[in-house]
Amino acid sequence: MSLPETVPFLGWAWDDLLFLFFAGALLGTGLMVVIGRNIIRSGLWMICCFGALAGLYVLLGAPLIAAAQVLIYIGAISVLVLFAVMLTQSKSGPVGLVFHHQAWAGALAALGIGILVAVVVAGTAWPLAETARTPSPTEELALLLFRDYVLPLEVVSVLLLAAVIGGVFLAKREREPEETIVPAEPARERMPAPAPAVGTRELTP
Amino acid sequence: MTETDLVAISPLIFVIALAMLIIVADIIWPDRDDISTGLTVAGLLVGAGLTVLVAQSEAREIFAGAYVVDPLTSFLDVLFLAIALVTVLVAPDYLRPRGLPMAEFTATLLFAISGAMLISGSRDLLVLFLGLELLVLPGYMLAGYAKRDGYSTEGAIKYFLLGSFSSAIFLFGLALTWGFTGTTRIREVAASLAQLDTASALAPALLMGLALLTTGVAFKIAAVPFHYWTPDAYQGSPTPVTGYLSVGPKVAAFALILRLFVEALAPIKADWTPVVIVLAAITMTLGNLVALTQDNVKRMLAYSSIAHTGYIMVGLAAYAGAPVGSEAERAGLEGLLFYSVAYAFMNLGAFAIVSALQHRRGVTSQIETFAGLGRRAPWAAILMTLFLLSLTGIPPTAGFFAKAYVVLAAVQAGGWVSVLAVIAVLNAAAAAFYYLRVVVFMFMRDPPETARPVLTGTMMRAGLAITAVMTIFIGLVPPVTSGVIEFARVAAEVLLVRTAGG
Repeated sequence: MSLPETVPFLGWAWDDLLFLFFAGALLGTGLMVVIGRNIIRSGLWMICCFGALAGLYVLLGAPLIAAAQVLIYIGAISVLVLFAVMLTQSKSGPVGLVFHHQAWAGALAALGIGILVAVVVAGTAWPLAETARTPSPTEELALLLFRDYVLPLEVVSVLLLAAVIGGVFLAKREREPEETIVPAEPARERMPAPAPAVGTRELTP
Repeated sequence: MTETDLVAISPLIFVIALAMLIIVADIIWPDRDDISTGLTVAGLLVGAGLTVLVAQSEAREIFAGAYVVDPLTSFLDVLFLAIALVTVLVAPDYLRPRGLPMAEFTATLLFAISGAMLISGSRDLLVLFLGLELLVLPGYMLAGYAKRDGYSTEGAIKYFLLGSFSSAIFLFGLALTWGFTGTTRIREVAASLAQLDTASALAPALLMGLALLTTGVAFKIAAVPFHYWTPDAYQGSPTPVTGYLSVGPKVAAFALILRLFVEALAPIKADWTPVVIVLAAITMTLGNLVALTQDNVKRMLAYSSIAHTGYIMVGLAAYAGAPVGSEAERAGLEGLLFYSVAYAFMNLGAFAIVSALQHRRGVTSQIETFAGLGRRAPWAAILMTLFLLSLTGIPPTAGFFAKAYVVLAAVQAGGWVSVLAVIAVLNAAAAAFYYLRVVVFMFMRDPPETARPVLTGTMMRAGLAITAVMTIFIGLVPPVTSGVIEFARVAAEVLLVRTAGG
């Protein structure tokens, strides 16, 4: 049994239908990640979001990237994030997040930018649109990665190392917990006044 | 990739290896601040030597055209290493009394510097972006380095949120540029844009890409109206970090502008010149006006650094506004580079003095701290006066020549850019008010009765000596001045030859 050339009744190409499906899923799940109040659910929606993105990669003829997306983002990063959330969070998350106060402004801005991008992309005569899309075999991709783009590839690892070191420093527990650092600055506008600091005694002996 | 590629990029690899070495040394000998500081200082000197050594060989593209080691790269790399050196010398005096370790500080700083060095020679949009991230990511962490201090954390969060937001904007701009030109190599982007019909309007996507790139970069250099993160991040950060943040990422972001706008986007320069002119004008003016009202010296210096962004942008505007191939084009870039050097040393010096005063915990950076400093610690007061006079632009300091170069370049460029020259001079006059106010406090007020002597360590003195000597020598000693100028000229010419030659 074979499928008809185009989608029955609608007359679209199957690619377009699949694109609509994945793009819609991407936007919808992305929205759920942002508006959800339960951070675990947000994390689960994020997995769906990554999955839809992997589908888009397949449609674009990049199966290797799609596979990497599934393995790394869904398989590793999402699980890592969920575990980190579960291990660090006490009981339930905050009910109302700070950013929810400006949700409407954010939604309007997002809509405006979305329309702008759509208009811009549709209104541009892309010079390279006519060039045929060639499927990229793994070998070619590897050559690109390890020959032309070997410098960025290596730099990414340095970037990750720097981020890990910084993250560990900020997250690690102090050795002497009783010592508190005195806020070095006095109160300024838009900030709550600091708690009476121990070290300020130094100024008035 | 061949071994010659690795030799050419060895200063960068060296700095990254040094950062890792410090972390390993800290694991073996924990809490030995002297080891990590000593390693860093020695390493930075070796790194600078290595940079100079590599610079002797012919400039060439490496890593399949993704990176280049040319005079501009060497010029900027030496400057970045000097910035790191002064920061590391100044930091222990502030961090140690507050119980903050040096090892993580120096390692993170070195990672940031390696990002800056990556930008300085980048010939690929992807490398440019990764260099930018490697530069700013450790910066966020450094801003929040005093993690028990609420202000430090607040400043770091603001810096992080707005910083990553602007990185995303910048990346989107890169993506649109790449989508339009079909390449990430800067040489090919420029070649592709050069083929565009200059008479007709730009394609919408390219225009949007340009707008996003400009916005992203304006965030990074803290140009008005994209400067909102600056005062809080600068005031909250530990003072030596503020000193670094006010020069390191700023100069590196200008390096990015040189590689991206002056090289890749030069063919469409007519489209971004007006934006640069307007941004320069409002950045100078607003930075100075708000600085006038500040009572906290760190916050005042934060706004002053915004104003200086504006002055440096005058150099960029002079390049952009000048006719292609004219003398003013080169003068603008030369001014930009010279200003960056002068600004780096005088601003680091000013923040070093603030750090020295804050050696004791609990001492604030309010202007009252400076009252009577002329009597309490004459040397600190004299040096602070020197740095402030240089920031004002009083001859014969480095700051005067820096301002003179960018203003003259702007006059040479003509057109609307010469209006910018007038605005810059007026701003410099207005800025004298708030810089000299600190001087008045230091020499004409009585010290508060509670004031205690200012303590400075040997390292701090070395850092102050370097910045002071550079601030004076760049202005006063003709061989040094002409040396820097000559180096800046060679570096600027590299860019111009390449943009002219396609």
